[in-house]
This record gives sequence, structure tokens and C-alpha cells, in this order.
Amino acid sequence: MTLLDFARGPAIHWSLIIMATGTIWRLLGVLVLTRGADLSRPRDAFGNFKGYRTVFSRAWPSGEFTTATRYQTAMAYVFHLATLVVVIGIVPHIEFITRLTGASWPGLPNAAGVGAGVLALASLFALIARRVSKPAVYCSTWGDYLSWVLMAAPLVTGLMAFAHLGPRYETMLAIHILSAALLFAWFPFGKLMHAFWFVFSRAQSGVAYAHKGVRI
Amino acid sequence: MSSVAVPKRIFPTFDQVFQGFASQIGMLREMAPPPSLPETVRVRRAIDTLIAETNADEAVWLESCIRCGQCTNACHFFQATGETKYAPLRKMNLYRRVYQRELGPFRWWYRLVLSPIKLSDLEELQELVYDSCSECGRCTMVCPMGIDIASLVHHQRSALVAAELVPPELAALRMEQLHRGTVFGASAETLRRVVDTIREQAGIEIPLDRERAEVMVLSSAVDLVGNCQGLLATGKVMNHLGVDWTLCSDGFESANFGLLSGDMALWKKQVDPIVAAARRIGAKTLVIAECGHAYPALRWNPMLKGGDLPFEMMYMSEFLGRQAKAGRLKLTPIEGRITYHDPCKTGRRGGAFDEPRALLKAMDADFVEMPANREFNWCCGGGAGIFLLERATHLRDASFRIKMQQVDATGAETVVVSCASCRLNFESGRQKNHWGTRVESLVELVAEHLGDEPHTGRVMPIRGEAA
Repeated sequence: MTLLDFARGPAIHWSLIIMATGTIWRLLGVLVLTRGADLSRPRDAFGNFKGYRTVFSRAWPSGEFTTATRYQTAMAYVFHLATLVVVIGIVPHIEFITRLTGASWPGLPNAAGVGAGVLALASLFALIARRVSKPAVYCSTWGDYLSWVLMAAPLVTGLMAFAHLGPRYETMLAIHILSAALLFAWFPFGKLMHAFWFVFSRAQSGVAYAHKGVRI
Repeated sequence: MSSVAVPKRIFPTFDQVFQGFASQIGMLREMAPPPSLPETVRVRRAIDTLIAETNADEAVWLESCIRCGQCTNACHFFQATGETKYAPLRKMNLYRRVYQRELGPFRWWYRLVLSPIKLSDLEELQELVYDSCSECGRCTMVCPMGIDIASLVHHQRSALVAAELVPPELAALRMEQLHRGTVFGASAETLRRVVDTIREQAGIEIPLDRERAEVMVLSSAVDLVGNCQGLLATGKVMNHLGVDWTLCSDGFESANFGLLSGDMALWKKQVDPIVAAARRIGAKTLVIAECGHAYPALRWNPMLKGGDLPFEMMYMSEFLGRQAKAGRLKLTPIEGRITYHDPCKTGRRGGAFDEPRALLKAMDADFVEMPANREFNWCCGGGAGIFLLERATHLRDASFRIKMQQVDATGAETVVVSCASCRLNFESGRQKNHWGTRVESLVELVAEHLGDEPHTGRVMPIRGEAA
């Protein structure tokens, strides 16, 4: 078995199994806990439902915090969107997903894929630069840095493989797939899980405040 | 300046009240009980409290933080000091450690890699959850995950109650309320005395212990042992409205040091007699005095099934604001520019935004909102018991400068508050900074601007949102 066979086979498959199992375990481990009851009378009988809009409204900071959050919001949006384009838009990734699920869709031209990859990486560097330069604000943990490294690695190795930089193509491709496998395997254990938590966290606060007639 | 002549005072002015309180607070530190339990027991009790109080909501919030640092933009204590330890996200760290080791889905792993909680960790936590967090909830407004850090801080206060680590001033008042049922010595006897004084010297009748009444009104220790002007003003306004009202000597205290310290049992113990008294007299409305935290202690008490109560609870500003909105409270115009400070507990964490503004509108005030207002209002820095903590003085003073800038930006000559804690803190800041802005209580301002002829008939309380 070559390194590429290992990466394409057991490595990526096991990483996906770890990701799925770990994610379900962590979500269930939290969501099966009892919910505390707030017995007080809501300000408005149907007001609590309005709280769910916080799940969507919090996707953008309120005007009060526009200036303070501008840099981070812009960079975070560029990073998330560009990463999404890279993950589901470029041909080799679509082929991988097709092999796994059977689903298929047309890919982007190479230039667009590379452009998105460069943007994602650049925004990721912009975010870590700010994190490192303002330690008092970010209070970073080792988990934050590990998540950053594991997120940056597939972007760097993917771009290198595309550009035929570094070791020979097959080895570079194997390294790229292995780096993605590491990212998948790490997903359930660190802060990348915010991909799921944000829905619950925002909804809970939105509802708790809406109960009192406050829109957050 | 008010257009109405100020009547002769029978009670001290608020700056004198503030001076008096400052000396009383100094004595509290000496009255605080020392810890009595062994170290290991105190730590275990703190951990057990956090475990018991952690539901799915808390767990999700603890899991959700991505350390993006945005909350630091919203916190007055961080903004005023720039010190990393005051970053709101740090105020969750100890709780998260307990959660990850004891309850989280990967606890078997975190027990290996995270060190157990020690008493010294809890001692360090004291400053973070008492001195430097007024549970104002402003950080939630900016958090991209929407984490309610204030409620997580409150659970940690409960844990510190169990660990006998309540700051001395709050500990002393908690013990006083627990064992003697009073705050600053404000007993039923004190209430009777103040009511008599108001009747004899100001000619204002404060109904006390009537058997039946439509409206039950609360008072507070600040009103009874310091600023009796607050109760006098309440009486004047209620009588002017013709409300069928009373105070009850077995349930009159708004202040709740169970809520402030984090002692859930005392919180409930303090609320029960108030609810019982309101039921007994057949009250349809319970009006909470201008004491910010009393609003969440009663109106938003999660342990009290509000829907089953035969009465509605509302804050003083809500009650009066609804009367003004319904056209039943006509007020005379007030001169000069005015701004309004939303107490965190009645504003962002209470939702009573419109009614106090309706009162200012009824006074035809030149009302200007602060740059950050309503849900985004900056805390004055004295809430959640912080005003009482001597150790937190530098934090309060530093963060109050943000508040002064906000008020100054409006060009207002008067800032109106509707919370005794906020008012004391504003008064402290005003005196220390030689600030020229007047600080007024909403109910006292209303009492000074009562316009039309008093009602003679009975006024039904105005209920519900439509009012």
C-alpha cells in the first residue's frame, strides 16, 4: 500500500468515522442533559418564539458593535465562504464526495478554486495575526492554535499539490489528504464544533431574552 | 431644572444619603462571618453546586465559546482597564473546567488532562464573578455565539456561596437577611416609623397593612434607612393616582441578597413572604420599588410560576409608565435636557424599556438617548452588588467614566435612573469626579411633577402589554 493509497483509503475513511461518531457523541452528551425550566410568566405569550430569530440575526453584528468587530467579521466571512467554495467547488473534491456518496455536481474552473483557496488561507492568516497580536483580548488556548494549524494545513498542502510544489505530486497529494483526515478527526474535540453549537447557543439566549421582551 | 418649586425637605438629600451609606458599608466588612468548613468540603460543595445547576443550556454555552474575543468590546470592566483577566470569556473558564471534568461528554479525557479545582482557584474566581461582573449581559449582545455569560457568572456566585467565599460586604448582608430578615437593619418597625414620619411631617398617608388592596407596593432598605424621600414620593404618586394600595409589614423588602450573593435558597426564602402577603390582601398588582435586582428576583424569578399567581408583578417605572401611557398620569413639563439610564436588570435583562420613557415624554422632557441605549446601554458599574464592595472601588470608578462619557455626549443636564444601586453609584461617581450633571430618581421626579387634580375615585391597575 502506497502512502497515497493509505491516505485515500483507511486514513480518510477512519477520520470520517471519528468525525461522525465524535460529533454525535458530543452533541448527544450535551443535549440529553435536562433543560432548566423558567417558570416566570413571559412578557408576551408568544414572544418566546421570536427568540429563535437570534439564530439568524446574530450572523451579523449589530450596529452598536460594527466598528469594533469590523475586521474580524470581514475576515471570518471571507474565510468561511472561501473555504466552503474550496471544499465543495473544486473538481477533485467533488470526485471524492461522489465516490463516497454518489452525489455529483459541476466543478469550478481551476483558477476560481485556487483563488478561493488563496483567499481562505490569507484570511486565516489575517485572523491568527490578530489573535497573536492581542493576547489580552483573545485569551487563546492550545486548542485554538491546534485548530488553526489543522485548518490551515489542508489549504497549504492543497495549494502546493495543485501548483506541483514540494515533493512529487503523489506524495504531496497524500500529505494533503492526510492533513484533511487530521482535520476531520480533530473536528469533534475542539472548537470547530461551533459549526453545530452556534444554532443551540444563539437560540437559547434568544429565547431567554425574548421571554423578558428583549430582542438580542 | 425643574419648573416646580422643591418642597421643604424632611429627609436628607441624596448626597447625604450616599455619605451615610458609605460609612455603613464600611462596617459591613467587619461583620462578615469567617469561613467555618474545612477546605476540601468547601471545594467539594462548590463543585457540587455547579454540577447541580448545570443543565443543557449552561453546557451548550460552555461548549460554544470560540475565544473570538468580541465580548471584550462590550464589557465596561475590560474596556475601562484593558486587563485581560476581566475579559468576559475568562469568567467562564473555571466553570468550563468543572463541567469538562465532571459532566461533559469527554470527561474521562479531561480528568486526565485538567487539574482538579483547588480552593485557591475559587479564591481567584471571587474577583471575576463578584467584583468585575455586574451580570449586565452586554457581552451577550456582541457574542457571535450569543453566549449568556452573565447567567454562567451567576451560577459561579452560587458555587462561591457554597464555598463560603462571598465577598465580606455581601456575606454580611446575606447573613443579616438570612437570620434576621432585614437589610441594613430595615425591619417592620423601621417601616412603621418611616410611614409615621412621612404622615406627620409631610402630610402624606402611606397605607400600611391594609387587609385588602388592589395594589401592593414594596419598599427597600435604601428607602427606609437612607433615602426616605423615595417612599415619600411613592406615596405621593400613588395617592395622587387614587390607587387602592398598601405596603405590607410582613413583605416589603425589595432587596434580595440571596439573588445578589448567589444563594438560591435565600432568594426563595425572601420572596415567599412577599408572595404570601400579596395573595392574602387580594392584590392584583405587585409594584416593585426602584431597586433594580428586585425585578429579576421577583418578576423574572424562574422558580416562581408566574402564570399561576393571581397578581401581576411590575417595576415602579413600568407601573407609572403604563398609567402615563393610558393618560391617567398627567405630569407638568420639566425643563432642561434629560437622558435616561436603563438599569441592566430592568433594561437589557428585564425588558422594561418603554414605560420609563413614556413618563419622561409625559413630562414633555427634552429627552435625548445616550449613544448606546436600551439593549446596548453601558452598565454604570455598580450593579449586582458591586456598589457595596470596597475592593471593587477602582473597577467601579474606572468603568463609571464610560458612563459619564455616554451621558456627556447627550448634552443632558440631568440623568434619570430608576434603581437605588445605580443611583448610589452615580452619586459616588458624581462626587468623585466633580461631575456637574444632576442625578434623579424617576419616581421622585414624577412626584415633583404631578400635574392635574388628584383622582378621587378608585383607579384599577392597568394590566398587560396593551396598557
